[in-house]
Amino acid sequence: MASIDIVGIRKAYGALQILHGIDLTIRDGEFIVLVGPSGCGKSTLLRMIAGLEDISAGEIRIDGRRVNDLPPRDRDIAMVFQSYALYPHMTVAENMSYSLRLRKTGREKIAAAIDGAASILGLNTLMERRPKALSGGQRQRVAMGRAIVRAPKAFLFDEPLSNLDARLREQMRGEIKKLHHSLSATSVYVTHDQIEAMTLADRIVALNGGVVQQVGTPLDLYDRPANLFVAGFIGSPAMNMIEGRYRSDRVSAWVELAEGLILPLHKTLQRAGIDEEEAADVEDGAAVTIGIRPEHIFLDPGVGGFEATVELIEPTGLGTILHLRLGGVSFKAFSLERSDAAIGDRLSVSLPPERLHAFDAADGVRLI
Amino acid sequence: MSLVASSSRHISGQRPLLQRLAMASEPYLYVAPALILIVAVMLVPLVLGLSYAFRDVRLLNPFSGGFVGLDHFRVLASDVAFARALKNTLLWAGASVSLQFTFGLILALLLDRPFRGRAIAQALVFLPWAVPSFLSGLNWAWMFNPVVGPLPHWAFALGLTSAPTNLLSDPTMAMWGPIIANVWWGIPFFAITLLAALQAIPRDLYEAASIDGANAVQRFLSITLPFLAPTIAITVLLRTVWIANFADLIIVMTNGGPADRTQIVASYIFTQAFRRLDFGYASAIAVVLLVLLMTYSLLIVLLRQSLLRRA
Repeated sequence: MASIDIVGIRKAYGALQILHGIDLTIRDGEFIVLVGPSGCGKSTLLRMIAGLEDISAGEIRIDGRRVNDLPPRDRDIAMVFQSYALYPHMTVAENMSYSLRLRKTGREKIAAAIDGAASILGLNTLMERRPKALSGGQRQRVAMGRAIVRAPKAFLFDEPLSNLDARLREQMRGEIKKLHHSLSATSVYVTHDQIEAMTLADRIVALNGGVVQQVGTPLDLYDRPANLFVAGFIGSPAMNMIEGRYRSDRVSAWVELAEGLILPLHKTLQRAGIDEEEAADVEDGAAVTIGIRPEHIFLDPGVGGFEATVELIEPTGLGTILHLRLGGVSFKAFSLERSDAAIGDRLSVSLPPERLHAFDAADGVRLI
Repeated sequence: MSLVASSSRHISGQRPLLQRLAMASEPYLYVAPALILIVAVMLVPLVLGLSYAFRDVRLLNPFSGGFVGLDHFRVLASDVAFARALKNTLLWAGASVSLQFTFGLILALLLDRPFRGRAIAQALVFLPWAVPSFLSGLNWAWMFNPVVGPLPHWAFALGLTSAPTNLLSDPTMAMWGPIIANVWWGIPFFAITLLAALQAIPRDLYEAASIDGANAVQRFLSITLPFLAPTIAITVLLRTVWIANFADLIIVMTNGGPADRTQIVASYIFTQAFRRLDFGYASAIAVVLLVLLMTYSLLIVLLRQSLLRRA
């Protein structure tokens, strides 16, 4: 097991910049998830750690050793590919033992290693099959088995679950997490699925456009997204974003939404540990984007609520997603209660100030 | 099918004879066009050709044409020229195919990786394939000729030969003249087909193998070769049969000489048929060649099947 240091990594294909200077320290035994939309450079970064892509600038160190110029075979890492990349002409056992055979490991040691991996992954009865005779989930397990037999310094996962159906994905997600618990191996996991990121990661690295947006624990990213991108990317259904104008006087701060709706910011400031005095840093009248997660909107609070019109109702079984309109603003609310509201009904809702996020409308950076 | 058949039998009692006949022949009429085509185009010439092998057919003898049974084959069994032609065919086909394959594979591997001007290089590599075989035969014959060609002088200058002589007139080496021409001419076939097969190999397998710790040679042996094997089997089969039957270059460059040293079975057939005008004997040789090549093809096809089953 090892730590991985990524220092000022850049990647360019000709004039096209893919990664704009990534700095990241992955601690020994940590499970890091790189998450972002497609084209954000997360797979490129992973492949650079693996040695499958050249590094345009910067440095990657595994266990303190600079690996920029080392070929993949000398980096002692294992990778699970999205396509699994199993050798179709080899049996499951041969696929799993290939790396050990290349290293001229003794026959008994190989047998012990693949038996061990096979029983962890429940592959014992499939060892003589070829990949084409396996189901998607089984192939995925073989790909994982191929990675763990070697006890490498680090595991790299490149969207390993995206070719599985939803149920299998959930199951494998759990198995990967269990596997990480028992092996506590340094792992870097690439995905575009924020649920996978939230459930698996010790720390999430949110990437967009080749730039790190935020690094933190899953709940950090959920509770205090650093900018609009992270706020919109983490969480499902996505956070509501409402344009407004920040106002403050010496006594309090509030946000004017469209059509004269006013949201007091008092408690938000307290939660953020910001004095209302300090908050005055945000210029009075600045354009801000207010974010609130659908699950944090109170329905039927009684007093002090806004009157909103129900536009659409989406029952999810677990709860209900209500599409609401308040003045000129549309937003969603999620409630675990089964709603008996009908389209066109008017509901009283409240947006708890301590649950509000405020971002600079121009550059998307978190203000409060 | 059986349902239709039983129902037509059921009502056949009431139908007139002509209609019953038409119904009975219906399935045969459907397949007739294909059958007629196969019989006319393939079977009739084949059977005619085969029949010559058992008849005395000499164009210069108006009384020939009678059935001679296995006489041709008895003569053939003790024909020294045929035995030598058979040996030459092995050398000709074996050397040509293995060299074409080796160079074709090397070219395909080189062309499989991206570099500047790859499109032009590909076009150039495939150029010899477009040259008519007779033209390339003449061209190479001239190149080996010390009077007009540079090759003997180069070989002499490099110390390979003691004098700038014509390779094609050296009885011990003459076979290599057409072989070299054939290799030059046939490399593109292997390069094209192997390149296509190479490009069908998923890239991530190579990436997985390099992460697993394989170096370039190990990647070639454990991924490239198993993936290419079925293609290699089928192309080697096709080329061997084609080259064993391919006498153009030999006829043009050496005409079987000097002293029959470059005579292969195919050119021997050509000589018997069109020089001695003994079509019967030529057909008998052709039948022997056919049987040998069919046996060889069967072996290769079986090999390929087993390779495909493994993959």
